[in-house]
Amino acid sequence: MRAQPFGDSAVLIELEQRIDDGIVAQARALADAWERAGHGTAVPAYASVLARFDPLALPPEDALARARALASGTPNTSPEPAGRLIEVPTVYDGPDLDEIASLSGLSRSALIAAHSSRTHTAFFLGFMPGFAYCGPLDPRIRAPRLAAPRARVPAGSVAVADGQTAVYPLDSPGGWRLIGRTELAVFDPSREPPALIAAGDRLRFVPR
Amino acid sequence: MLHILEAGLRSTVQDDPRVAGARIGLPDAGPADPVAFRAARALVGERGGAAVEIVGLPFTFRSDDRRLVAVTGRDVAVRSASRLPGWIAFVVRGGETVTVIGSARYAYLAIGGGLDLEPVLGSRATYLPAGIGPVPRPLASGDALPLGPVRGLERAGVRVPPAPYGAAVAAIDGPHADRFGVDAVRAFFGDEFEVGPDADRMGVRIRGPELRWSGDDLLTCGVLPGAVQVPRGGSPIVLGPDAQTTGGYPVIAVVASAARGLVAQALPGERLRFARADPARAVASLRALGASAAAV
Repeated sequence: MRAQPFGDSAVLIELEQRIDDGIVAQARALADAWERAGHGTAVPAYASVLARFDPLALPPEDALARARALASGTPNTSPEPAGRLIEVPTVYDGPDLDEIASLSGLSRSALIAAHSSRTHTAFFLGFMPGFAYCGPLDPRIRAPRLAAPRARVPAGSVAVADGQTAVYPLDSPGGWRLIGRTELAVFDPSREPPALIAAGDRLRFVPR
Repeated sequence: MLHILEAGLRSTVQDDPRVAGARIGLPDAGPADPVAFRAARALVGERGGAAVEIVGLPFTFRSDDRRLVAVTGRDVAVRSASRLPGWIAFVVRGGETVTVIGSARYAYLAIGGGLDLEPVLGSRATYLPAGIGPVPRPLASGDALPLGPVRGLERAGVRVPPAPYGAAVAAIDGPHADRFGVDAVRAFFGDEFEVGPDADRMGVRIRGPELRWSGDDLLTCGVLPGAVQVPRGGSPIVLGPDAQTTGGYPVIAVVASAARGLVAQALPGERLRFARADPARAVASLRALGASAAAV
């Protein structure tokens, strides 16, 4: 673990440099603890937490000391309860479905089964509002990112890339491989909370 | 009402950033030049609330009633019955047509009484890509924004010094500075960078000495406005208020909060220099700016 200043109003706590369920859960627990302490917003990722604070209220050197104390006090195996189970009704008709099936050496129906038969964990949110990085993907699914991202991926696209899966919350450019779509609104600013998926939730894609 | 007669190109309503949204992937939004934004607000006596971020001068408006207003930014002026510089509070008469002119990339118009708009997800700041905010689109001519109660007229003539545009940009060693060679870090804080044509509220691409880094790709981690990301073999990007909340490139440095406007306001082709600062000193200058704004 190391914690270092990230500018004058955040500390970056890095746990490790690898993707692992336990470390992801630890990062989430640490982010929760930082927010519970009332210091500010904390952004967990695979193996790190960006702990933000108001530097006029909490001097950066104090923030760094608190982050270090919190990080050394957060147990490695987090006993946190599993998140909600969210079912994502999915029509598997994405433009990359056949290519990903052939790259993975699977039939179309075997690819759909591989994607829809397991429960994925939402690791963290980033990239755009409501975009949850979920996984791990069935290791048979091979899905390298597109070398040149698409200019427009429609909202609701169900995508895979590099061992992960996600639903695009909004129309946007994107380099993930599109295998299906859902009508579920994963981001809606008029809803509370606006993001359907929270870090720690579990996702199951249900073929329609 | 504040009537907009000439809206510029991509002017928006901005407010203090929506920081709490970072955890769900929602960018901060808020002003690209926070110091100029807060100065405009302080000049008209408002402690919080929204102001107009003008992109693409000129911008022309009128108010139905007599109002205290202030305009800030890098190189801004005001043309009405008379001509005024920026960074000063002045009174406009009801119905008077006022035009903000200059070359500022971002100019701020604050009005006594504030814009009477409801926060969305904790802020009135506009995040255009996802259409978030009480006015979730660029302002257009013909728009009318509701105003709070008239107040602060007695403050007319109050002024604050403009931000030190053109000075070296204070920045703090980034969390991944050790991924770069000593020479790259020295080059970052010693050499000049040219502002590229790709510059908007998401980020500003700068070109200069090659900043090589070694080792495997980083795992994606949280980032925030002011972070200087260095893609492999690419030009550094200084993240802006609408930047993504996570990123996978090493961060060589993070621009001090008080200096973010110096980068945002730089025009393509201009040269920037970064000056190494530590977090405590960066906060001291932030505090000093806040104190001078509060003292007006």
